[in-house]
Amino acid sequence: MEIKVRYRGEDKVLTFEKDKVKAKDILKALGLSKDYAFVVKNGEIVEENEPITQNDEVRVVNAISGGLL
Amino acid sequence: MRKCIKCGEKAQVYLPQHRLSLCKQHYLEWFDNRVEKTIKEFKMFNRKDKVLVAVSGGKDSLSLWKSLINLGYDADGFYINLGIGEYSQKSYELAKSFSEKVGKTLHVVSLYKEMVPIPEMRKYDSRPACSVCGTVKRYYMNKFAKENGYKIIATGHNLDDEAAVLFSNTLNWSVEYLKRQYPVLPEEDGFIRKVKPLCKISEKESAMYAVLSGIDYIEEECPFSEGATSIDYKMFLAQLEEKSPGTKLRFYSEFLRKMYPILKQSEEKPKLQPCKICGEPSTNEICAFCNLKMKISQKEAKA
Repeated sequence: MEIKVRYRGEDKVLTFEKDKVKAKDILKALGLSKDYAFVVKNGEIVEENEPITQNDEVRVVNAISGGLL
Repeated sequence: MRKCIKCGEKAQVYLPQHRLSLCKQHYLEWFDNRVEKTIKEFKMFNRKDKVLVAVSGGKDSLSLWKSLINLGYDADGFYINLGIGEYSQKSYELAKSFSEKVGKTLHVVSLYKEMVPIPEMRKYDSRPACSVCGTVKRYYMNKFAKENGYKIIATGHNLDDEAAVLFSNTLNWSVEYLKRQYPVLPEEDGFIRKVKPLCKISEKESAMYAVLSGIDYIEEECPFSEGATSIDYKMFLAQLEEKSPGTKLRFYSEFLRKMYPILKQSEEKPKLQPCKICGEPSTNEICAFCNLKMKISQKEAKA
């Protein structure tokens, strides 16, 4: 299954071999941890076990930023 | 489905280190309360003070500004156009549109007008871009605040920033830096008081506040911060946090509670003097900013 996501200002298409995809699968596919990243589904922040379908508008937020501390 | 502990509605946010599930409204309230509590805990400022928020267009500075406004503080924004191509252009537009939305003043200083943009500055200074950028930002923030009657400079440094720098300073036993790692740097010898009201709020909490408040912020990373060591430290601390929620907060808070008072006793304050060129406080005859400016003009003259 393919899911379109918005990540760091860019649109990405993620491909999954299974039919039931959860928010945590999306984070995993992008190599992100729930400690600093989260999924916004149709405008709402969702927990990691939330099911995601192709019809959902999905945004992934990675909160970590670098630079001078 | 998790429910908000305050109202029983569907929770959008779960904070493992606080064992809290909250709906949108109660999360926004929780965040503002935490900012207020931090301001009071460290006696950062009060509602009579004029606060200048250092705004980058990112989630932390805009969330901080929004929260201070919600809490009724007198807070304006200060943006430095660093001249880093599209990144600076976009971050400026986002900061500007936020200030218009909240009806507050955004003061702007542009490096194109003041000296040279950061990418060009790198040609004249061998230090990492983030160090050069830090020198420039600190100089303009302090000078602008002083000249315009702001008593406080508030920056969006969050718990992850503070825990990462504490980790780095501890790893290197940089005792002199540890002695100064406190969320309030007092006003003295020409320096305006600098405060970090988000020091007990994680990066994720700050990003969730921005998203749930409808703040449009720059999500792209500064191109010069790629590969920064600070990110490695944050990733390492994130691994510990995932296994044991609350690790970062404990590491930082307990440092402030137990270690900082001991270190502070032996603090020898550096002797400050007005820079011979610009008059800003400096540990040397000529401050770091004027040194940088001199390097630029010398190399420009040679070219």
